[in-house]
Amino acid sequence: MNNNSANILDIKNIEVTYDDVILALHDVSLKVPEGKVVALLGANGAGKSTTLKAVSTMLASERGKVTKGSIDYDGNSIQKQNPSQMVGLGMVQVLEGRRCFGHLTVEENIISGAYSRKLSKGDIDQELEKIYGYFLRLKERRKSQAAFTSGGEQQMIAVARAMMAKPKMLLLDEPTMGLAPQLVAEIFNIVKELNQKEGVSILLAEQNTNIALKNSDYGYIIETGKVMLEGSAESLLNNDKVKELYLGISKKGRKNFRDVLKEESLNKRSN
Amino acid sequence: MVDELLFFMEVLVGGLLAGTMYSLVALGFVLIFKASATFNFSQGAMVFFSVLAFCGFMQDFNIPFVLAFILAALLMVVVGLCTERLVLRPLMNASEDTVLMATIGLGYVLEGLAQAAWGVEVRRLDLGIGDFPVPWIADNLKLFISALDITAGLVAAIMIIGLFLLFKYTKIGLGLRAVADDAGAASSIGIPLKHIMLLVWSAAGVVALVAGMMWGARAGVQFALVDLALKALPVLIIGGFSSIPGAIVGGLIIGATEKILEVYIGPFFGGAIEGWAPYVLAIFFLLYRPEGLFGEKIIRRV
Repeated sequence: MNNNSANILDIKNIEVTYDDVILALHDVSLKVPEGKVVALLGANGAGKSTTLKAVSTMLASERGKVTKGSIDYDGNSIQKQNPSQMVGLGMVQVLEGRRCFGHLTVEENIISGAYSRKLSKGDIDQELEKIYGYFLRLKERRKSQAAFTSGGEQQMIAVARAMMAKPKMLLLDEPTMGLAPQLVAEIFNIVKELNQKEGVSILLAEQNTNIALKNSDYGYIIETGKVMLEGSAESLLNNDKVKELYLGISKKGRKNFRDVLKEESLNKRSN
Repeated sequence: MVDELLFFMEVLVGGLLAGTMYSLVALGFVLIFKASATFNFSQGAMVFFSVLAFCGFMQDFNIPFVLAFILAALLMVVVGLCTERLVLRPLMNASEDTVLMATIGLGYVLEGLAQAAWGVEVRRLDLGIGDFPVPWIADNLKLFISALDITAGLVAAIMIIGLFLLFKYTKIGLGLRAVADDAGAASSIGIPLKHIMLLVWSAAGVVALVAGMMWGARAGVQFALVDLALKALPVLIIGGFSSIPGAIVGGLIIGATEKILEVYIGPFFGGAIEGWAPYVLAIFFLLYRPEGLFGEKIIRRV
């Protein structure tokens, strides 16, 4: 119905302010093609979470506002939507820091993800079994209180809970934060599997540039609210500047893209 | 000796049953505390507002008992709806303290509305249940226990079982528990906060109505019902602000101890210690077990 239907998400030049004064995003544009995994990379405070919350419309509950630009999801503007409507449309965000319901059991946590869907008891059980197929570890712990599970398990609960809403698109905000390398790999394997078997499009915010790019199709690097670089995951992994600034293969004292650009312009002038 | 034991039993049972009346009031607080993490200062006013409306329907309009109850309950749903729409939603991003202050304001509005609509005089509420000993129990067990106390106990038990089942086994109950744990995460998976708030405030309104009917039948429907909220405070401190079983057990403990202390220790203080003894007990709980007996502990993994 739309020319852009190949892109499930299309963000054009958005600017976001908090409390009407704090400018968090200057100019961010990005696209997520249907069925693909796109990584949004950057350091703390670069604007990754803000971008994701602009898409899920959860900005409003933090006094944030999209003041310029447009966001189209599935060919339609999301301007007038609220978070629960977005979930109804198949866009679910997994918030940073896992945010499980600590006093609920693992299984209750996962079932709560189906709140927006009208399912019978039998349907819910069927969906649960399907989800446990991806998260075997959670099935063993289904009766434990979520607050007493490990960090990795809590991250799995958060993703499983989001999957219960039957999303077309997932927004993952730093799913590997504070996890051991082995668990990071396990989480990414699951994410990849969900992408391939369930056809969920994924926009992934990460600081862990290396592993995020290895599991994505395309990547964007943002710094202080601006997209600095974009490209296929492979090209970014092989990009010298990315290697230097984000993959820890560093030389000299340059710390971000702004420094690189400054240096380059100085070099040009001296030449 | 036997007489003394019987007397003690009578004091204890009477106290426990009277305690369920406190539990009923405390229940309303717990419901709202679970969902909004705020102490609802207007709960006392809601008790007064709802039961005065109930009396008004029955006495001024000659509406039969059951219909008047349904109307008053519906009125409380409307109050819940207005509260969600006009007070809670605009304050969605505000701090818990702000919401707390708003509930104080809401209390004054409800008190004023109630008296403007139905007048200020004390009304008598006759539920058809006398506040005097049940003859059968007096004859067979030699205990003098008020029929109203027994009714209050039964009503409280039914409401607790009902609410427990609602929270544990229904979808909306799961939604409410999720919101109580993390409202932001709940909204991220599509649980609509406004529906949950509406449900909770309506349920608290109906609980207030039932509590008001019990207290109104005992002490008359009057402005003093507003101060019932203060009686519920020690109950909540002992039982835990976020626990429904806590509200019940807290009420029972307060009811029993205040009666026993009044009868056995009261004379040394010149009587009337039941007015303040519960608060002393509450202070001890605040010092040694601030989350209460059943309050949700802040779970921290180590």
